Amino acid sequence: MTDRLVGQSVKRVDAVGKVTGETAYPGDLSMDGMLHMKVLFSERAHARVVSIDTARAEALPGVAAVFTAKDVPVNEYGLIMPDQPVLCGPGSDKPGTDIVRTTMDQIAVVAAESEGIAAEALKLIEVEYDDLPTVFDPFEAMAEGAPQLHAEKPGNVIVHNRIRRGDMVAGWQAAEVVVEGEYHTSWQEHAYLQPEAGLGYIDEEGRLTVTCAGQWVHEELEQIAHALDLPEEEVRVIHPAIGGAFGGREDLSIQIVLALAAYRLKKPVKLIWSRAESIRGHHKRHPYTVKHKLGATRDGKLVAIEVDIVSDAGAYAYTSTKVLGNATMMSTGPYAIPNVQVDTRTVYTNNIPTGAFRGFGGPQAALAIESQMNKLAEMLKMDPVELRLKNVLHDGVITHVGTPLPGKVSMDEVIETCAERGGWERSNEGWQRSPIGQPDNPARRRGIGFAAGFKNIGFSFGAPEKCTAVVELHGDSEIEKVVLQHAGSDVGQGNHTVMAQMVAEAVGVPLDKIELQMADSVGVGSSGSASASRLTFMSGNSIRGAAEAALKAWQEENRPAVGDYTYIPPKTTPFDPETGQCDPNFAYGYVAEIIELEVDLETGQIELIKVICADDVGKAINPQQVVGQIEGAVVQAQGYAIMENFQMKEGRVLTDQLSTYLIPGILDVPKEVDSVIIEVPNEIGPWGARGMAEMPYIPFAPAVIAAMHDATGLWFDSIPLTPDRVVTRLREAGLGA
Amino acid sequence: MSASTDIAKNPAVLAMPSPGLPKFDYVRARAPGEVSALLAEHGDRARLFMGGTDLFVQMRDGVIAPKIVIDLKTMPGMTDIAFDARSGLRIGAAASMNAIAAHPAVKDHYPLLVEAIETVAAYPLRTRATMGGNLCNGSPAADTAPAALVLEAQCVVMGSEGEWTIPANEFFLHVRKTAMRPGEFLTRIDIPIPPEGWAGRYVKLGRNAGGDLAIVGAAVMGYPDKSAGSGYRFRIALASVAPTPIRVPAAEVLLAAQPISEGLLDEAAQLAEAAAKPIDDLRGTARYRKAMVRNLTRRALDDVWQQLQKER
Repeated sequence: MTDRLVGQSVKRVDAVGKVTGETAYPGDLSMDGMLHMKVLFSERAHARVVSIDTARAEALPGVAAVFTAKDVPVNEYGLIMPDQPVLCGPGSDKPGTDIVRTTMDQIAVVAAESEGIAAEALKLIEVEYDDLPTVFDPFEAMAEGAPQLHAEKPGNVIVHNRIRRGDMVAGWQAAEVVVEGEYHTSWQEHAYLQPEAGLGYIDEEGRLTVTCAGQWVHEELEQIAHALDLPEEEVRVIHPAIGGAFGGREDLSIQIVLALAAYRLKKPVKLIWSRAESIRGHHKRHPYTVKHKLGATRDGKLVAIEVDIVSDAGAYAYTSTKVLGNATMMSTGPYAIPNVQVDTRTVYTNNIPTGAFRGFGGPQAALAIESQMNKLAEMLKMDPVELRLKNVLHDGVITHVGTPLPGKVSMDEVIETCAERGGWERSNEGWQRSPIGQPDNPARRRGIGFAAGFKNIGFSFGAPEKCTAVVELHGDSEIEKVVLQHAGSDVGQGNHTVMAQMVAEAVGVPLDKIELQMADSVGVGSSGSASASRLTFMSGNSIRGAAEAALKAWQEENRPAVGDYTYIPPKTTPFDPETGQCDPNFAYGYVAEIIELEVDLETGQIELIKVICADDVGKAINPQQVVGQIEGAVVQAQGYAIMENFQMKEGRVLTDQLSTYLIPGILDVPKEVDSVIIEVPNEIGPWGARGMAEMPYIPFAPAVIAAMHDATGLWFDSIPLTPDRVVTRLREAGLGA
Repeated sequence: MSASTDIAKNPAVLAMPSPGLPKFDYVRARAPGEVSALLAEHGDRARLFMGGTDLFVQMRDGVIAPKIVIDLKTMPGMTDIAFDARSGLRIGAAASMNAIAAHPAVKDHYPLLVEAIETVAAYPLRTRATMGGNLCNGSPAADTAPAALVLEAQCVVMGSEGEWTIPANEFFLHVRKTAMRPGEFLTRIDIPIPPEGWAGRYVKLGRNAGGDLAIVGAAVMGYPDKSAGSGYRFRIALASVAPTPIRVPAAEVLLAAQPISEGLLDEAAQLAEAAAKPIDDLRGTARYRKAMVRNLTRRALDDVWQQLQKER
């Protein structure tokens, strides 16, 4: 046997290629005779497209074709529901596809001999719009007489989730202390390094192929096949190196139009979006409004909670319903509360659609419940750590959806570990921390804040969940080579490295015997998406099964010995429409975070001094990659909580460059991030692994708000905490200058 | 910038995410007469550049599409930096910001200028970017402009009728509009020797800790002057809070007239706030900007006043 590989920080399989620049990202790929594409976006936020005249564009020398709605056989797509036209305009069979509902709607695509010609041709396309009334606020969208975006969803509400548990009258009677709050979050742009890019072509076996950056090859394949009305076996999707995703590639962007053009022209086509096109052309994180009422007894026992959430879905559903489901589930935090009323709605507007983004509804829900917990602690004059530990969920405790959390619930251990690391001490009076010192400069105040959270691993609420691996063992008397075929995408998180470690461990060979064939829809079953903190968990279990089957075949003298295994996790169920009762998830991870910061009272600028992030990951298959995910999530959450100020006006994006939409740079990131890896095994996880890519993000914003309160005595209920917003609040309170 | 034909022939470059730069002719200028002739011939279709850090971004984004771009940094003297203890500093208009900030005489005699330069974008960009270009853009957010204003720089301009000089405080007319006339270009920035015993600060507020354009920038310099009622004179200039970079004469007069005190510094900062006429934009609201003018001016005044007292 070899040394154990699981648990080692082995070098990433993609390290050398990426450092030397040898690795090809989708935009780096070219083919002989390929055409270049450009997309014409809608200039209106809501309008009927009366006509599209492409004659002048088609007549431009070098233009191969212009495609519009009439060219799309089944003009619809969408991950959760196919409510978005591939191309908006007249001429397709499906009613309503002639309407643009957002400025990110695509109207036409041009394929030409050069990108310059394609860009020139876009200007020659004449679109006649008949404007429709617009709505950009989800509350206005729900009001009577509001413009209706989709006939199937009257009132613009895509879904309304309810949780009803216990007796609210009794709950509020028992409540001796009540905290009420209203919280607002904004859009966030994924800002992955690599804007959307890809190639469409017919492969050597005649399959329509799209090579691009995405998160789930088989899902993209299905949606392409559906829109083009082709059998799925005639379509192939490949993901080469991917420059970040964060949920932003979970829905399709360029895939179908690439496929359409390649299929119609029988020539390779290439499409690369600029940063501005990327920011306009894909969804964002949802803005949430959370109204929250939390009741407790004087000794700090939570007794009642009411939550009302409205999220802005934008013009199409994307994953809004699923994101809302997660926010609904996490709206009461990792706490036991007997009396619960939760109502959550996600609503169509004419804004850019919103959808999956790291945390998937968790950050918005956590902002509210964790801020409420911190406010409650203040009212009760109780330490925030102490208050949480009094109420935290344990094994077997029934949650607000009527079922216990599966597996070992480690929330208390995670909170305690994090608190100790951050200077909290346990005494006879419970957990406490002495106040932190203040800087000499009177214009600066220092504060420390605490928040906790949890995150599901894998798809929730009854969504079909499975993951396939194929392991081939080559050799004669000894295993000389192990080939792993897996459709899972390495979006930059290091998953292919982790898969190589796991297959080597499962087969019992050193890493150098592993050959990876990854992220190609041909020859292997679906992996499910690289999302929901699920891929290590799901791929690990599929690899273990496939390795076991392959080793059995090896014993039976098959050469090569092949194991093809599909892992299916424990079943989950959707919310009951009236009570919300369900078995929402099969696994969770737990996280607590402490943030120490300094705020400049005169400018409103916030400097992060230290972040302590403790995560129960079950088992760190590759600890270095886990730390990388923690640090990455911390910085992305810093942008979300403090810096990133996405601005839209009447459905048009104003911040469509990284010079107008600022994300944290190297000079902005926390001075220190203390990543604390906790390993409480998940009994159904591979080698005990849970999942962790989203967890460090979840409690970050409320921990910042708690630290801001510690520094200034003020609560902030809206993010991002731009200097402008901070100064306004400080001045209202007579602080600063 | 290499010739445009190289781009067209290289398939790897063709595959870049944006259409890249449109085709144009590139001319390395050798003498002012040549520049004048080209400008006379091509008019609006010609653009001058030095570092190109603004020009090529605008061309890439399709904001402008000149047919001919004329590189001024290839003319003799355009990148020179020279210091003379009597006449002061002469900065070639096309000298890179990094070259200026690294120049021993600039570091010794004009630390305020170094401080302002080091807030512009990032180090790699400043290897190309020039102070001349920063001023000629006429952006109200130009970080070197407040420094030029308080150091009372002279902008030396070349035109068809020869060379003439525009004081920095007459150079900026409006957003992207300077006092240079059509066909003219900047050749040099002359900065006199500052008064004995001076001190200066540039304080900038951006949305990140490095690289952003200024939400507000405030430059302050001060020096002892027995002829002043307070015994000191101050100069104050602001970026990003009006259609042009501005001086704040009201505050300067106040600080010369009365003995310096905490209260007087406060009052001067308030006058700076009153002088600012900012707008709402993506970087910040007008209200926030006005408040920050006062706070940043106050900080810069504090620092300068402390330095002046130390040197007494």
